[in-house]
Amino acid sequence: MFIFTLKRLVSGVILLFVMSTATFFLAHAAIPDPTLGLLGSAATPDAQAALAEKIGTDRPVLVQYLDWLGGLVQGDLGTSWKNFQPVGAQIALKLPVTLSVVTFAIVLSAVLGGLLGVLAGLRPDTWIDRVVKAAAVILFALPGFWVALVLVMAFAVQLQWFPAVGYVPPGQSIPDWLRSITLPAISLALGAVVMIAEQLRNAIIQADGQDYMRTLRSRGLSRPRLVTHLLRNSAPPSLTILALMFVGLLSGAIIVEQIFALPGVGPLTQSSSQNGDIPMLLGITVITVVFVVIINLLLDVLLGWINPKVRVK
Amino acid sequence: MKKALAAVSLTAVAALALTACSSGSESPADGGGDVAAKPLSIGNFLDVTSWDPSLADIGFDGPYLSAIYDPLLAIDGQGEPQPALATDWETSEDFLTITMNLRTDAEFSDGAAFDADAAVKSLDYLKAGVRSQEAYRNVESFEAVDEDTIAINLAQRDDTILYYMGLGRSYMMSPDAIDAGTLAETPVGSGPYTMGASSVPGAEYHFDKVADHWAADEFPFDPLTVTPLSDATAMLNGMQSGQFQMIYGDKAGTDLAPDMGWNVASGLATWVGLQFSDRAGATEMGKPLGDLRVRQALNYAFNGPEMVETIAQGVGEATNQVFPVGTPGYVESITGEYAYDLDKAKALLAEAGYADGFAVTMPMAPPFQPWQAIIEQTFGELGIDVTWKETDFMQYMSVAPEYPMFVGVIAMDANPIATVQRQIAEPQWYNPTPGLEAFPEVQTQLDTVLTAEPGDAQIAEVEKLNELVTEQAFFSVWSQSTNTYITTSDFEVTPVTGMMFPTLRQITVAG
Repeated sequence: MFIFTLKRLVSGVILLFVMSTATFFLAHAAIPDPTLGLLGSAATPDAQAALAEKIGTDRPVLVQYLDWLGGLVQGDLGTSWKNFQPVGAQIALKLPVTLSVVTFAIVLSAVLGGLLGVLAGLRPDTWIDRVVKAAAVILFALPGFWVALVLVMAFAVQLQWFPAVGYVPPGQSIPDWLRSITLPAISLALGAVVMIAEQLRNAIIQADGQDYMRTLRSRGLSRPRLVTHLLRNSAPPSLTILALMFVGLLSGAIIVEQIFALPGVGPLTQSSSQNGDIPMLLGITVITVVFVVIINLLLDVLLGWINPKVRVK
Repeated sequence: MKKALAAVSLTAVAALALTACSSGSESPADGGGDVAAKPLSIGNFLDVTSWDPSLADIGFDGPYLSAIYDPLLAIDGQGEPQPALATDWETSEDFLTITMNLRTDAEFSDGAAFDADAAVKSLDYLKAGVRSQEAYRNVESFEAVDEDTIAINLAQRDDTILYYMGLGRSYMMSPDAIDAGTLAETPVGSGPYTMGASSVPGAEYHFDKVADHWAADEFPFDPLTVTPLSDATAMLNGMQSGQFQMIYGDKAGTDLAPDMGWNVASGLATWVGLQFSDRAGATEMGKPLGDLRVRQALNYAFNGPEMVETIAQGVGEATNQVFPVGTPGYVESITGEYAYDLDKAKALLAEAGYADGFAVTMPMAPPFQPWQAIIEQTFGELGIDVTWKETDFMQYMSVAPEYPMFVGVIAMDANPIATVQRQIAEPQWYNPTPGLEAFPEVQTQLDTVLTAEPGDAQIAEVEKLNELVTEQAFFSVWSQSTNTYITTSDFEVTPVTGMMFPTLRQITVAG
């Protein structure tokens, strides 16, 4: 397991290098002169020249790359070209917001999706199974942004149970923090809930028909113990989906963060793209890749813990 | 761009944040008074670009920076400089020295006194700033004449410096904070508020009122919060749920305003049309544009009033000029000069030897797509074969001027001389080579404008210049778009052309 983890870490570093290098050169190719976007409509040749000197884009791209890579190796993600603040510090401010919402959404998906999936899987072709299947089709078809808008209109504008926009850090008030991320998390989670439920239901039904389950039943195992065996064998596909969703929701959060005006990584990515703030885009890419590597690693470890048969030698 | 498209034209609710003082008068705010505090939570379109005024944009940073910092000069709804930390000012007869008297009762939030030395230090810092330097390009030096007087020494006459300073380029910063280089993280000004400890960067900025600020009564907003959010629907939701008392508005918000009892204020912000970047016809592709008749044909060919109705949903002013409608420099009598006449456009093209049209390549990016179809259709009628070079908005600003003409949504200024300089005389991203050498008449009139006695005489010359560039079809202007601000009935806003979002000085309590 140690060797496996080490290999995954090494491949993660390689992935990080390749992705960040590709992003660096693609971004520079796409935005040959970022000073225009950074200065806006009032850009004058003098101001552009001064800004180019300040941010170092008057140097060859390769020199800029080596400079940036040297910083990255030392854990320095550079300085934003828009507000000249450290990229790492700014992402660190935004990341907790996105992670709050995404984690809450994943927890909701795992709990609700798991519950519905188990109920439907253990009672196939009953009313609950049919409800889950119908809900899966309907909720999966609904666009997330539309769900978010409906939730805002109903629970924020009309009932005023939750704020329509804005974010409260947990350090200020835990109840207000939860209120500020509940609607965004539900908006993000709905699709994931039904996907997890549907996946788990199918896996349970499939596993329940396997020979080993028949054998276990014939040995007279109690219902709870049978369900435990069933879940151990049905859970891995759902966990894999959950892990993939975590990564997917990180990008899906962009729209939800915009609708709920949450100061997460999404709006930062969007504004950095619009402004041509390449160091910020690179920083976000690096952090995202790091998350993908960590999540996949955790998934492998978790799967091995749940089901020793899938442990990688 | 999105903002310009979304803007609406309703009657502006005008109420000056500063009382109506003309240049040289005493500042209205000498403390005292007893104004009831009103909570104000603003939904702004963008986050603050930087708390360091030398690095900040004028665009949407107004409400943030004006809370923390006092400017030397403010600005009114007509773009006229107004007293703030500078109580009055005088320009020398040779126009090369501006002497300003300063307030003596202002203090920075770190306890340092505001005086002439502090002002000079801030101005030197702003002159060196990558974004703030635009206001001070003709400044030779700043000088502390005495404790409460400064002199701005110019290398050449500059009729726009006071306008740019008022627009948001003269915020005064604590000398110690400038030396420490910490303004971007910890802003220290002498403004009516300080940054609240509960602020969440990028999410919600809370400001603590400075009780003994020299103009405390002009800022009765307490508590004051500014929330950046770039989604128009989110802003409207926040307004409907009572979280905001002021937002950047769009059509949906404007339509909802009467039912909700909200105030709506609109101000002209951008002109929309074709920018001729090769009006001299210096390039092979741009050669047809070198012929006045072709440029005029492209003015006659577009139906501005109809485009306002169909594309801008009735929001904006149909016009053929780059000077904001109704401001000094704008000439009402020539607005009909290029009334829609496709036959005349065809005839002019034929006269110029382009009866069968010509081929042209133009850049296109998503924000400009609403006009793409009408251009294709109109050019098709004229026989002009247009090839679109698709790009994104970031690229658009870089590549657009490489083509002889492109669709422009270009910011305007309230100050007529600033308009002359930015739209006609000086290189800008949308006009990198003004090419005035090919238009000696325009150059001569421009020189006359820049040497005329400030005031009515200069405005008269600006109007002549405007008539000349309109006659010469320097642009094909279709309309002017507005920025809109929606407030609850408790507040009123005075929009300022040149400022995308008003400062706190343009927001007043209603009634």
